[in-house]
Amino acid sequence: MDPRKVIVCRCENVTLADLEEAIEKGYRDLESLKRYLRIGMGPCQGMHCLLFTAKYLARKLGKSVEEVYLPRNRVPLNPVPARYFIRRDWREMTG
Amino acid sequence: MKTGLVIIGAGIIGVMTALNLVEKGYRDIMIVEKKYPGSGGSFRCATGIRASFTSLEHVELMKRSIQLWPILSEKYNIPYARHGYVWLFTREEDLEMFRCIVDFHNKNGVPTRIVSPEEIAELVPTIKTDQLVGGVYDPLAGKASCFKALLNPLAYIIRKGVKLVESTTVYKVLIESGRARGVLTDKGVIEADKVLVAAGYGSKEILRESIGVDFGLRNIPKHALITEGYQRVFKPLLIDWETSSYIVQVLHGGFLIGSSLPEEPDKPPRSRLEYPVKAVNVWIRYFPWLAYTNIMRYWTGYYVMTPDHHPLIGPLSTVENLYIATGFSGHGFMMSPAVGEVMADYILGEKPGIPYVEHLLPDRIIKGRLVKEIAVFG
Ligand SMILES: Cc1cc2nc3c(=O)[nH]c(=O)nc-3n(C[C@H](O)[C@H](O)[C@H](O)COP(=O)(O)OP(=O)(O)OC[C@H]3O[C@@H](n4cnc5c(N)ncnc54)[C@H](O)[C@@H]3O)c2cc1C
Repeated sequence: MDPRKVIVCRCENVTLADLEEAIEKGYRDLESLKRYLRIGMGPCQGMHCLLFTAKYLARKLGKSVEEVYLPRNRVPLNPVPARYFIRRDWREMTG
Repeated sequence: MKTGLVIIGAGIIGVMTALNLVEKGYRDIMIVEKKYPGSGGSFRCATGIRASFTSLEHVELMKRSIQLWPILSEKYNIPYARHGYVWLFTREEDLEMFRCIVDFHNKNGVPTRIVSPEEIAELVPTIKTDQLVGGVYDPLAGKASCFKALLNPLAYIIRKGVKLVESTTVYKVLIESGRARGVLTDKGVIEADKVLVAAGYGSKEILRESIGVDFGLRNIPKHALITEGYQRVFKPLLIDWETSSYIVQVLHGGFLIGSSLPEEPDKPPRSRLEYPVKAVNVWIRYFPWLAYTNIMRYWTGYYVMTPDHHPLIGPLSTVENLYIATGFSGHGFMMSPAVGEVMADYILGEKPGIPYVEHLLPDRIIKGRLVKEIAVFG
């Protein structure tokens, strides 16, 4: 399959060709790939793409998935509408 | 292991210093990083860049940085834009205080100006200005991608022969007859001719262990969140002076809101429900539509503060071949191009060309000669 047509990260529209090129350029750990390509930085927070990227990277470098280590997920795990945080007493609550 | 220069810490400061050295032909460098590059302050930052400070030291350092940012952006493909900053005031007395700050800026080549609520509405589409008495606009300020600013130069210097050693903690600098001769790490000794300590707050412990001096560094917790990405709504970074909170639509499109909560320094920061409450309520007063955006990520980090809120940069007079670059007090990202240049000069035994930069030598803390500001600010 044409790597330019395989989507690795749907939120940020990253293809397998982008991933291969980044690995070629020397971005060989998940933390760097995440920031360089924005894989896993969109609304799904890497739920799908990061695991795939980790497996792909591990195979490419001949390492185990544990060795290429997974980035930490940040709260909230799913995007939350800002309006849920509107409060009349916000000043008292936040000092 | 043996190398010419060990840089402790692969943050933006360590990487920019190495980049300047490589560009000057010095490549025998090993960067030793506790976790992974950017994992300290550098990847958590809000990407803001400005020269509108209240000391000559900061203003001159940042004027040089702002000359360098577009050059770096071009050479290493780092997204950067001069989108400006606007300070927003809801109280007359704040506006009054800023009149003399703007005077100071203008006298020193920083083109800030006082703006009316009407002008603010023009600079910042969709903003509600009903509670504003005025603001200050800095057209020279801007923002850059903190990810690309670190990763692209790093990939370049690695191709040029610089070694990056990750997941390795430095315990101390080894010193023999008044000279640095290497570092002790959790994986053994690395011998080196010169050592640069650029380890953020980690520098405190390293320096205490190595030379028994405490430079008074403090870690002040900061909170930040970002929404999903949207089309460009407004360009400048905005500061709500009354609540010390800022909002910036980063180059990728997300709205990043940063601020602090009343907290103890030096404690590990943690996520708290109060933070998104503060962020949202401060900024929906200006942008009611913000209520309909989605918050995607919330993280914490530190400002590594020095006693005078100015960085420690340069060699130490008491130990040869030992250099320090830390304590950026919340502004290390914007300063990194100029600091990298200055540190490379010091390490190669040249005299840096930026006015007043010698006032920032680390010795000043020991000698009690702190930097003075015209007003306490930001
Ligand atoms: C929320 C937030 C917003 C910010 N916004 C801005 C902004 O808009 N503009 C701006 O200019 N600045 C901003 N800053 C500040 C900026 O991020 C920092 O000043 C800058 O990143 C400092 O860079 P550094 O290289 O000195 O430190 P760091 O990036 O922290 O790098 C130091 C490195 O040293 C490593 N290290 C520590 N101890 C050891 C050890 N013992 N051995 C080996 N390695 C070690 C760490 O792991 C780390 O990677 C912000 C900071 C925060 C938290």
